[in-house]
Amino acid sequence: MQLVLEYFELILFVVLLALGYSVGRVREKRHYQSIRRREAELAGVLAFGIRFPPDPNAPRECVLVTGSVVVSSDYFKQFVAGLRTLIGGRMAAYETLLDRARREAMLRMKADAVRHGASLILNVKFESTNVGGGMRGGVPAMEVFAYGTALKPAPAPREAPRAA
Amino acid sequence: MRLENPRPDETVNYSTEHPLKEFVWLLAGVSAIVAAAVALAGYFAGELAARVPFRVEKEYAAGITRHWEAQRLTPEGGEARATLRMLAAKLAAVMALPPGMDVTVHYADEKTVNAMATLGGNVVFYRGLLERLDSEDAVATVLAHEIAHAKLRHPASGLGRGVAVGVVLSVVSSGMGRGVGGDPVQVAGLLPLLKYNRDQERAADEAALAAVAALYGHVGGAREVFAVLGKLGRDDAARIGFLETHPLSSERLARVDEQARLRGWAPDGPVRELPPALAKLKPAQRTE
Repeated sequence: MQLVLEYFELILFVVLLALGYSVGRVREKRHYQSIRRREAELAGVLAFGIRFPPDPNAPRECVLVTGSVVVSSDYFKQFVAGLRTLIGGRMAAYETLLDRARREAMLRMKADAVRHGASLILNVKFESTNVGGGMRGGVPAMEVFAYGTALKPAPAPREAPRAA
Repeated sequence: MRLENPRPDETVNYSTEHPLKEFVWLLAGVSAIVAAAVALAGYFAGELAARVPFRVEKEYAAGITRHWEAQRLTPEGGEARATLRMLAAKLAAVMALPPGMDVTVHYADEKTVNAMATLGGNVVFYRGLLERLDSEDAVATVLAHEIAHAKLRHPASGLGRGVAVGVVLSVVSSGMGRGVGGDPVQVAGLLPLLKYNRDQERAADEAALAAVAALYGHVGGAREVFAVLGKLGRDDAARIGFLETHPLSSERLARVDEQARLRGWAPDGPVRELPPALAKLKPAQRTE
């Protein structure tokens, strides 16, 4: 017990690291499962970076669709990334985090398109913003925002009422 | 135009390597680099600082000397200080201080159980520790230990080393973008510094043993001191040696016997009673 109290700070660090690693791994695995499942479900909604529809003359309605996600790093990733900043190289710890964020934002945008009855999104763009105070002091957290123009078929024109 | 959204290729955007593999490599590599940088910076800064002439160190530490000299002592405290200074003079005579070096002993009327050597040859003996020692030999061992720190220029090298190591660790810390906290990298960086500290304590112990052996003919006082220190604070079983600033008391006690055997000193012998001015400080005899 005395030993625990004496080296409490070090023990706390190891516990937080182990917790970050184990919980982070489980959550990441589940999130990827969910992403893959929903990507298959929404495979019918197509999203592209092109600015003009393939058939520009077809009558369509345009709707702005968006998908946003905020992700935070866990203690383990943060620590490994901190070590990596000292010597450089591929920051693998954050690659999966941001990959998940981008794909999740895209899925949410596609879900938005489905709500509007659209199955084609053009001019898709991503924005990302640091919201966690950055590497110094705060916990690294990012917002990834996907947006685009969803096209849906224009409703059939109503027939004008006939004169009596 | 054919439009298609293929399923994302999961082998491109992120690494499939196990995260623990990267963690272990990074932690071991960075810790080794930081520890080596700290050990190098600490070594050179410490060696350099210890080569600053003692006269310069003393001028630099004039404020410290003034601070301790300005302490208002009770008549009892004044007597204790005079006694400690007499004892220190006897010890200094057998410790072969380098030319131009002198040691000034101060008495601090505080319950802190400690004694310390600081810059400029200033040695401070706290009442808290004096109260716990039962013989002149034990008091002399502590004094000799602190005088040895001054003789070996440990306060100067400790300061130089501390500054250099502080700079290295703050660069690492800001590079990692995290506070000092309990990061193992920081701990790895501090390990060489703690090792230097323990080595200095061992060197001071050895010099102190030689001095008390020369003065009293045996090293029994040292055994008393380390037994007292061993009973203070935490048990050695609750300490991790390489994370401590001082060697464990049990180790120091064992080294007394080992040194006595190697150098042919008597490990024990009749100890002298506390001088009256110091005996008065013992709680049972204090009138206040």
